Amino acid sequence: MDVEHSRAYIDQLYSNDSQKCFQAVSELKFAVIGSVREKGSIIEQGVVVRLLQILRAPDLDVLLKTEVATVLNSLAKGLPEHASALVQAGILPVLWEQLDACTGGGGGGSSSSGGVYTQMLLCCLRSIYRHGCAPPPPAWDHKLLSTLIHHGYHPPSNQECVANILAHACKTCEQQQQLVEAGGADLVACMLCSPVTRVQLPALHCLTAMCYNNERVSNVMATKSYGGKAVPDLLAGLMARDRPREMQLAAATALTFLHRAGALSADDPKIIYKTLQCLVRFCRRDREVWERVEAGNTLAYLTERSIHLQRTAAMTDHLILTMNDYLKDTTPSTPPPTPTPATHPISVSPISCRQYDNPSTWPELMLEAALKVYASLGANDEDIRQRVIKTDGLMNTIVASLSAASPPVQLAAVRCLHSLSRSVQTLRTTFQDHMVWRPLMTVLKTSTNEELVAVSSSTLCNLLLEFSPSKEHILDQGAVEFLCGLTRRPHPGLRLNAVWALMNMAFQAEHRVKMSILHHLGTDQIFRLLSDTDVHILMKTLGLLRNLLSTKAHIDQIMQNHGKEIMQAIILILEGEHCAEVKEQALCILANIADGDVAKAAIMSNEDVLKKLMNYMVIPNVKLQIAATFCISNLIWNVEEGAAERQNKLREMGVYKLLQNLMTTTDTGLFDKVKTALQQFH
Amino acid sequence: MDTSEWLEETGKMHIHRADMNRLIMNYLVMEGFKEAAEKFSVEANIKPPMDLDQLDERIRIRSAIQNGQFQEAMRMVTALHPEILDDNSQLYFHLQQQVLIELIREGRVEEAVVYAQDHLAERGQRDPSILNELERTLALLAFDQPDSSPFGDLLHPSHRQKVASELNAAILRAQNQEETTPLLAELLKLLLWAQDELNKKKVQYPVMSDLLKGQIDEPK
Repeated sequence: MDVEHSRAYIDQLYSNDSQKCFQAVSELKFAVIGSVREKGSIIEQGVVVRLLQILRAPDLDVLLKTEVATVLNSLAKGLPEHASALVQAGILPVLWEQLDACTGGGGGGSSSSGGVYTQMLLCCLRSIYRHGCAPPPPAWDHKLLSTLIHHGYHPPSNQECVANILAHACKTCEQQQQLVEAGGADLVACMLCSPVTRVQLPALHCLTAMCYNNERVSNVMATKSYGGKAVPDLLAGLMARDRPREMQLAAATALTFLHRAGALSADDPKIIYKTLQCLVRFCRRDREVWERVEAGNTLAYLTERSIHLQRTAAMTDHLILTMNDYLKDTTPSTPPPTPTPATHPISVSPISCRQYDNPSTWPELMLEAALKVYASLGANDEDIRQRVIKTDGLMNTIVASLSAASPPVQLAAVRCLHSLSRSVQTLRTTFQDHMVWRPLMTVLKTSTNEELVAVSSSTLCNLLLEFSPSKEHILDQGAVEFLCGLTRRPHPGLRLNAVWALMNMAFQAEHRVKMSILHHLGTDQIFRLLSDTDVHILMKTLGLLRNLLSTKAHIDQIMQNHGKEIMQAIILILEGEHCAEVKEQALCILANIADGDVAKAAIMSNEDVLKKLMNYMVIPNVKLQIAATFCISNLIWNVEEGAAERQNKLREMGVYKLLQNLMTTTDTGLFDKVKTALQQFH
Repeated sequence: MDTSEWLEETGKMHIHRADMNRLIMNYLVMEGFKEAAEKFSVEANIKPPMDLDQLDERIRIRSAIQNGQFQEAMRMVTALHPEILDDNSQLYFHLQQQVLIELIREGRVEEAVVYAQDHLAERGQRDPSILNELERTLALLAFDQPDSSPFGDLLHPSHRQKVASELNAAILRAQNQEETTPLLAELLKLLLWAQDELNKKKVQYPVMSDLLKGQIDEPK
């Protein structure tokens, strides 16, 4: 239509004559439906403000308002920026307000024109929320939520809208809880039983959004039933092979989330004999890219924590080979797919943040999915790990992906590496052939992504275990200094991995390595770590000290330079409020110190410590008694110089008598230690 | 198995008359043959699967399409189901393409070009998959006798029918009907597909070569 004509009807929009206005809105409707360009043009002309004004006017005809809502719905179906523009113009409060007004007094669902208006309002809300540009409020307005749920039971077109709105708007834990409390779980169960596919599919997405990572909601959902069937059984039915593909995938995702949140066990036949297989089927080469990627990611999530599921998955339908196809399909030699109109509509759950409209991103998405699946499969079982490692080209892909530009791919690669690094055989062989430590160190040093650094540092820990040939190389790369730096990071996972790695590094290490660690870490930092709120960090720090203080020569050297601080640290632990495990570690360190030739003096000269040792010998905890006795044993060891003086001193303090009393113990371990000690005395 | 045995075996299959009637009723309702459906409902004593007045809108729309009035059809669809054309952009393109084809058929070249510029150019830019179709359609303008051009298939009435069926299916979906094509068509497709699969595996069997006549050929 020419410019003159279009100008005319837009001007008419502002008319006070409701007939003329209605005609103008109708014309507007025919212009914008189907045309992205027209939608953009209308929005640019600032017409939205007038349209919202019409909706708010209390005295205007409901037919006019319906027509306006139709136009707004069409605008919202355009590009994401169109929907954003509507939100910015303040459409959401107006729609909610109108919906509320419809439901309460006036129109209601009784009159058909009121019903159509309500329907258009819901459509409009749904179209906006589907673009994902509506800012999620921290919590929902309880009244609005009830209104929405009230509309969710009838008719099917309203149901579809309500389900979609809830599916896209449910983002936080609080919202999930609110939704359940407002009756959302019952509504979803009802919708799952609808005869209309268009209602069932968004209902599945809604369920998924509600249950994600939420144990309480998942348990509620798993026990709901409708029409005599429990929700998990309904889900299994929707996953059957005669169902549309999007529905099968959505149902499998829902069951996966219920399992991971703890509402269904890994042994439940619906999970291990149905969900798993469904997801594996969708990974096959004859499926579309979006199906393969979504299924892969969900499968990785499903099997992440259960060795039973991992084992079952590894022998289902050649899964490991199928994943290899993912890697092959991402190599540059495969020509990029030409975009064809979607043969099957893409219906991804709102939880997944992935977009599929740009084919050039597909290879990366496939790669990430495959690596994640391998990471999950190889997490616990050595046989599976060996099979995974043998996958053609996998190690090269992992090493290349560690240096990839895309953080999700990097993270997937590191996770995969981490799983594989739990295998001693792999550490000694494959990882050597492929020099994984170099790109890994680069990631650790350069990445700002906390999750990435955490998983990488865990992997590094494994690489630094004594029997790993990588160790020497890593040390050359300035690893000690780097790890000591990591111990100062705010993220507790990182601190733990760093200390753990240092502990592994110090195990049976050369003197220069130990000195390097002490030098870069500093006794101040050791004190700080020993005061850490996380008990695991504390334990690993003590483990580090214990490893440092091993072999006589090292013990003497270290105590000579840092003896005072180390003793202070140990006293700190023994005097502090700690569990028995921690105290035991501290006592073991004392026992090590007591093994040193010169270092013994540090303990002998400290009456306070000696008294503590005596206390621990009689405390009602066998492990602590053993540790303390062992320490005494080392102190008085016959063979060593100055043994006689030490024995006299300890005898004077009453240690000999204590040992004699302990001979009555029923614990064989303690008995042996006590006997050995007594034998040392002249 | 030779043909006579084959025919004997297949002859043993029993189809209930009631099922046949339901299939026919399904076809009539899907395709919008309201009067026929009403009459058949009486004669075969079979209840129609839905209120037959619901067919009226689809009948009106199909009628408009059969008369070549695509713009009118689009307005009708929008008035009844405003979401259809936004949600089915392929369908919308085919409708617009048909408008273009009708203009070309009537020799209204200038109007055709203007229409293409106003409505279809932006679609082509945004969506490369339809560019090909668009180019084929516009290419018709280059020929004095477009019917005999390489793109003449676009002018064939069967093209109109394709669009009509596509629109019909979209309306049925918007009415929350689970099936959008007649079951009879699905059955025939199943038969053709099964024969195709057997042919691929080079199995010898009596082929139904003519669906309309039900003619069976000897295996070669």
